[in-house]
Amino acid sequence: MAALYGEVSWFCCGNSWGPCGSTGHGACGTCNSGSLQHAWPNTSDACYSITRPDRCGISGMSRRTCGFLHYTTNRCNGARVGTRIADCGPQTDLFCGERTCCGSVCGTNRVIDLTPAAYSRIASLSTGLRPCVVTT
Amino acid sequence: MDTTMNRRRLLTTAALGGAGIVGATALGSIAPEDAFAAPSLTVEPGAVDPHFVEGRVTSITGTMLLVTSSDSSLHSIRITDGTSIWKLRPTTFDRIAVGDGLYARGVRLPDSTLAAESVWVNIVNVRAHLAAVGRNVLHLEHRGQRIIGHIVPGTTAAVYNNTPAVADLSLLRIGRHVQVIGAWHPDTNEIDIATVYAAA
Repeated sequence: MAALYGEVSWFCCGNSWGPCGSTGHGACGTCNSGSLQHAWPNTSDACYSITRPDRCGISGMSRRTCGFLHYTTNRCNGARVGTRIADCGPQTDLFCGERTCCGSVCGTNRVIDLTPAAYSRIASLSTGLRPCVVTT
Repeated sequence: MDTTMNRRRLLTTAALGGAGIVGATALGSIAPEDAFAAPSLTVEPGAVDPHFVEGRVTSITGTMLLVTSSDSSLHSIRITDGTSIWKLRPTTFDRIAVGDGLYARGVRLPDSTLAAESVWVNIVNVRAHLAAVGRNVLHLEHRGQRIIGHIVPGTTAAVYNNTPAVADLSLLRIGRHVQVIGAWHPDTNEIDIATVYAAA
């Protein structure tokens, strides 16, 4: 897979406190906020029909299934984390064209969601959204 | 980079009860993005990260938090002068209460205590449908449940597709999707809103 540029955010999974109390363990059944995992928009036909990155002009997003390894780099600071697919997401088409920047470095469209454990390795959870590049 | 690694060592030293607490204070804070650019302690992708804790605070003794994770495991988290704490905004240790939920990242000490670098208290990241707007409140639909998001004057900010964060929420549109970073009110369906991300 060629490097995929976009935005990274975080999501909780596994039954935790607050609004995360009913999230469950994701499409793969293995997702937990404390593990180094992520959600990917193209894990199956059913997943892709929900996330629809193509509606935002993202073509050729590889089909990858549960357990596949991706590396996400925070383009604001160069920090990188390796994670495995545990869920379907983010729902890219809900935020088509959204852009986030730090200085002159920008990312457009949501391409990956990390668990809190993973996201907090490369950015503060309070940032919510960062420009990123995803590689294999 | 050296600054970050020194900070990590100071955290460990401080948590172990050495003179490092003074050092950590003297070092002061560093830019958040620099802090998270530090080389990560190696953990297998997909595995549980031992340097991270999720759970609810069950007791507070001195500067030690006892936390129960959602899998019922127990964790001790040591807060030092070098720990950054977020609860709706950057804040101080005395703002943490029993019953709060948290995520914490730090360094595991030999006795399995986590010496915390960062603690995010009650933080939530909600993708929701904006159902209604009231006086100082947003009504959010999240996974079929209603969440009441309180607007906190002087704190709540909106980001409209990469505009700088502004206090003006008037561009939010009912029926559109938003992402909200906020702080949960324990055991309720209410949050205080730090940042709401929305398309303009």
